[in-house]
Amino acid sequence: MVFSSILFLFIYLPIVLAVYYIVPGRWRNLWLFVVNLVFYGWGEPVYILLMLFSICLNYFSGLLIARYLSAGTGGRHAQGDRPRAKAVLIVNTVLNLAMLFFFKYFDLVADTLSLIPGVRVPKLGLSLPIGISFYTFQTMSYPIDVYRGDSYVQKNFIKFGTFVALFPQLIAGPIVRYKDIARQLDERHETLDQFADGVQRFVVGLGKKVLIANNVGMLWDVYANATASELTFVGAWLAAIAFSLQIYFDFSGYSDMAIGLGKMLGFEFLENFNYPYISRTVTEFWRRWHISLSTWFRDYVYIPLGGSRRGLPRQLLNLLIVWALTGLWHGASWTFLVWGLYYAFFLILEKMFLLKWLDRHKIVGHVYTLLVAISGWVIFQQTSVSQTLVFFRAMYGFGQAGFCAGQDLYYLAGFGLLLAAAIFASLPAGKTLFARLPEKLRSVAVPALIVLVLVISTAYLVDSTYNPFLYFRF
Amino acid sequence: MKKTCQIIAIAVFLLFIGGFFVLNIVTPDREFSPQENKYLQMLPDFSFKALFSGKFTKDFEDYTTEQFAFRDGWIAMKARCELLSGKKENNGSYYCGDTILPDFDNPGQEEIDRRADYVNALAENVDTPVYFGLIPGATEINASLLPKNAPADSQQTVLDWAYGRTRSTAGNVDVQTALAAHRDEYIFYRTDHHWTSLGAYYGYTALCESMGLTPSPLSAYDRQTVSEDFCGTTWSSSGFTWVKPDTIETFVPDDGSVTVMNLEKNPPQEGPLYVTSFLDVKDKYSMFLGGNSALRSIDTGHDGPTLLIVRDSYADSLVPFLLEHFSRIDLVDLRYYRDSLTRYINDNGFDSVLVLYSVPNFTTDQNLFLLSM
Repeated sequence: MVFSSILFLFIYLPIVLAVYYIVPGRWRNLWLFVVNLVFYGWGEPVYILLMLFSICLNYFSGLLIARYLSAGTGGRHAQGDRPRAKAVLIVNTVLNLAMLFFFKYFDLVADTLSLIPGVRVPKLGLSLPIGISFYTFQTMSYPIDVYRGDSYVQKNFIKFGTFVALFPQLIAGPIVRYKDIARQLDERHETLDQFADGVQRFVVGLGKKVLIANNVGMLWDVYANATASELTFVGAWLAAIAFSLQIYFDFSGYSDMAIGLGKMLGFEFLENFNYPYISRTVTEFWRRWHISLSTWFRDYVYIPLGGSRRGLPRQLLNLLIVWALTGLWHGASWTFLVWGLYYAFFLILEKMFLLKWLDRHKIVGHVYTLLVAISGWVIFQQTSVSQTLVFFRAMYGFGQAGFCAGQDLYYLAGFGLLLAAAIFASLPAGKTLFARLPEKLRSVAVPALIVLVLVISTAYLVDSTYNPFLYFRF
Repeated sequence: MKKTCQIIAIAVFLLFIGGFFVLNIVTPDREFSPQENKYLQMLPDFSFKALFSGKFTKDFEDYTTEQFAFRDGWIAMKARCELLSGKKENNGSYYCGDTILPDFDNPGQEEIDRRADYVNALAENVDTPVYFGLIPGATEINASLLPKNAPADSQQTVLDWAYGRTRSTAGNVDVQTALAAHRDEYIFYRTDHHWTSLGAYYGYTALCESMGLTPSPLSAYDRQTVSEDFCGTTWSSSGFTWVKPDTIETFVPDDGSVTVMNLEKNPPQEGPLYVTSFLDVKDKYSMFLGGNSALRSIDTGHDGPTLLIVRDSYADSLVPFLLEHFSRIDLVDLRYYRDSLTRYINDNGFDSVLVLYSVPNFTTDQNLFLLSM
């Protein structure tokens, strides 16, 4: 199930909220546990079993590790049987990664190996369990945290299950670590303040996804498969900018909806985006983009590998490893690896000498960061390197199709307003200006905007199945 | 103050999602949507088999969207929003003031050649002279109405490719020139992709020229308006449901001397030239000959040669003009006709064959290969 659907908005959510607030507090986690599974299983009911397996695996691993570390009192200085605890942790981590590998990367490896003459590895053709990249990372961090003494063990199965499958962030993040919401699982106090914030946040996210991301996405689709002889300079930039906006509004909209829904249910999740396109360096961009993922890789890969503490060569190697993995995490295709390494290149460049220079040339920094990010999205979204090159040639003045064609003007006229609005909304200015309005005006504007966004989003969602069957169209 | 504001914000949100939750339960489900001309998803039956195959959840999700309260109103609102945001099209149709024009996509010369070769194959398979006609759509003839720089492909290019490829036929019918000469007249519906009866008349004059017939002058007909509230296919697909409806006219009166035998049915069913009951439903264009059928045979009540038309629905409003020149006109629809076309032509000894398609249908129909069977 996805948030931006009629089913979620007008059936699932009203029922979830109504029952959640009707039942007594101690039943609320159980209710969430049940509806989480419904939410998760909606697309592929069979994969509920996979989710249950993942919950059990990590739940019992956590218990075992805690027991070996002197019956779960935790703490940095816990004594007990650390080697055994470590063995459990390793087995658990391997099983988690094996599951992710099997469902997500097996076919990629099979395809790649089959390129070797004489080797034939059959593909499995499994459909990707929704959100597996997110929840695997989420759950496997829990035993690690217990082992490190960063988190207490959770003995209540339902509470742990509720955490793993928590529907707001289940399928598209933010990647919530157990230690960040451990206390909220045991005890949370839903407040009016929080609920009102949640509503606002959710509606903002819905608008970002349905009204901006989906619509600018169509502009990218127009150009994505254009041939070298069709793709002009203006067309290529229009498309690349459209996709850069689409992925930001899609992803951050989803995070907003997740955070908003979390608040409605009394949870506080960490922020996931912080106006990434205003960054002055690529390093800064990745501190503002998909924050929970970068944090995860920092805490569970980069730092355990030694981070920056073992000398420059080792640090560069660590960066390469982290970014290769970050790239592949985004999808089972080698183009994502290229995309990850592309970022590794700029990040290393900045660490070595560019950062200092960029500090003194701020405008250059903005332009450079945007160019890197927008070009990066082309690598990210194109399924072949050759098509990426078609785009780069057109974008950087080596295209065959010239500067601009009539079609580009048509799309510029049709999407101009939306693009301008989207660019404005990707800057903090809108929020700052809104905060400066007199409070009275704001208190009227907020409900009015909520209704407006809800109504128009509903129109677009209802329209999504509008596909008149015109048999007389012949 | 802050608290009141919060309560109002929460209230409008909950009322909106909760309100439609209730509304969707109490409003009755519609089985059929005339506007969309399709059966809507009804509440699916639950079974574990359907659940685990994923069918149940998918159908249920379609059900929630297709049965959403005031669906048609939401669709129109979305179309309005698109226009407000500066776009000039919605769901593949261009908004041109009081006219809606469907987009057109040129599939490329290779594809057109392949299709033209099916016509060539038919011409080789039968001894009867085969005429070939392509009717350009409104988007081509009225291209000047399109939004500036609209990326609709040229249908003229397709026409030139196809006509350049067809050979050894009795001739290609120049419908394009005849229609273009009258582009300022009401020759295409504004809300539908078909030509009007007036457009069909000009197509008829082009056909007469190819076949060596003398067309009747426009003044010879008895023009009658049979409907003033025809909302056609582009009206439906675009969502521009505020565009004013079209008028349907007939030029040749149905005096009862014509019998239309629908040979698709067993036993064959006799019908009139105009099935006026269609004027009471959404699909009003089907009143010409009664809509689609695999095979129809018309006894015109006149003397003259016989003609077989391999048709799309444009032919239905053309046929009334042809009646006076032929004694029998058969219409084959390759989407439904599954016997050998060659055999049917040879067995019935037609004097001539006309393959007549609109350009958009000629470029997209998947059954054209049956011409060569």
